[in-house]
Amino acid sequence: MSVAELVAMLALVGALTFLFRYAMIGLFAGRTLPRWLHSLCRHIAPASFAALAASELFIHAGEVVFALTAPKPWAALVAAVVAWRSGNVLATIAVGMAALYLFKALL
Amino acid sequence: MGRRLEEFLAGCRDEAPLQLGVIPFGMLYGIGALAVGMPVWLAQLTSMLVFAGAAQLVIVQMLGAAAGVLPIGLTAVLLNLRHMLYSASVAEHVRHLPRRWRVLLAYLLTDEAYAVAILRYARPTGPGPDLRHWYFLGCGLTLWGCWQLSTALGIAFGARIPPEWDIDFAVPLTFIALLTLLVKERAGQAAALVAALAVLALAALPYRLGLVLAIVLGLLAGAAVARRGEGGDERG
Repeated sequence: MSVAELVAMLALVGALTFLFRYAMIGLFAGRTLPRWLHSLCRHIAPASFAALAASELFIHAGEVVFALTAPKPWAALVAAVVAWRSGNVLATIAVGMAALYLFKALL
Repeated sequence: MGRRLEEFLAGCRDEAPLQLGVIPFGMLYGIGALAVGMPVWLAQLTSMLVFAGAAQLVIVQMLGAAAGVLPIGLTAVLLNLRHMLYSASVAEHVRHLPRRWRVLLAYLLTDEAYAVAILRYARPTGPGPDLRHWYFLGCGLTLWGCWQLSTALGIAFGARIPPEWDIDFAVPLTFIALLTLLVKERAGQAAALVAALAVLALAALPYRLGLVLAIVLGLLAGAAVARRGEGGDERG
């Protein structure tokens, strides 16, 4: 595709992304959310983050890969325990990265 | 120190640790964008126009796979649809603000800024007027600055970072950390679990549609569990 096409696509994606973000704050700000939508919204963050994390850990080029010798899922497991016990983002990332280097050396 | 500045700085401070996950993400995007042939100016401009990490990485990935302009745009838009739900989630807290505030906060409404700001809205404000939008602004601007800077860093130095450092692994680690902060009740756990399992089950779907569908399925699961919980309370 040409650079012009790429720019047009990116500008459109940017505009729509802003509209999504502004929708309930601005466009429909006067409206009260229906109960069912509110109930769905409460879970958008956990659902998104879980799907994104699982996708990063176990999907490679459109295929699901479970390997006992893959260091990343093990390091993620260690990080999850740290996150659960400490509730600290920085500690989770630090321990997770350290665990990754350790498992890469061991496995 | 004024209470506005106090809230703003508290937002910056609470958003800061998350940048450890954001910066590699931004650098990764900057590195990738150049690698798939995006001009430097466009790589940086995209970080301002789209300002959504996951979508930008998907765009780069699909450009690298020589996908067409339409499927790439559609995938990015679908992926960013979730921001509408963030918008709905914060709406009750920012509805009273002037339009210029709402436009600004809407532009800054990303995964990581949302996650931190919504936790602040869950805590009651002190005496006096509600100034929690200044906290939100602190979160959003911290993330925006780091995103632009890390994109520029990725463009400038990225190619020299050895791939064996695996700095991109900080991305899923960030999601895991945020998950444990956000998921406190059974409905949220169900949403996360179903979304994670569904994304694996739907991995073969083209255009990363599986991700969007998995998130929707997770939401439905969370809502179903929440409703059953309410029903139980009413009967009890």
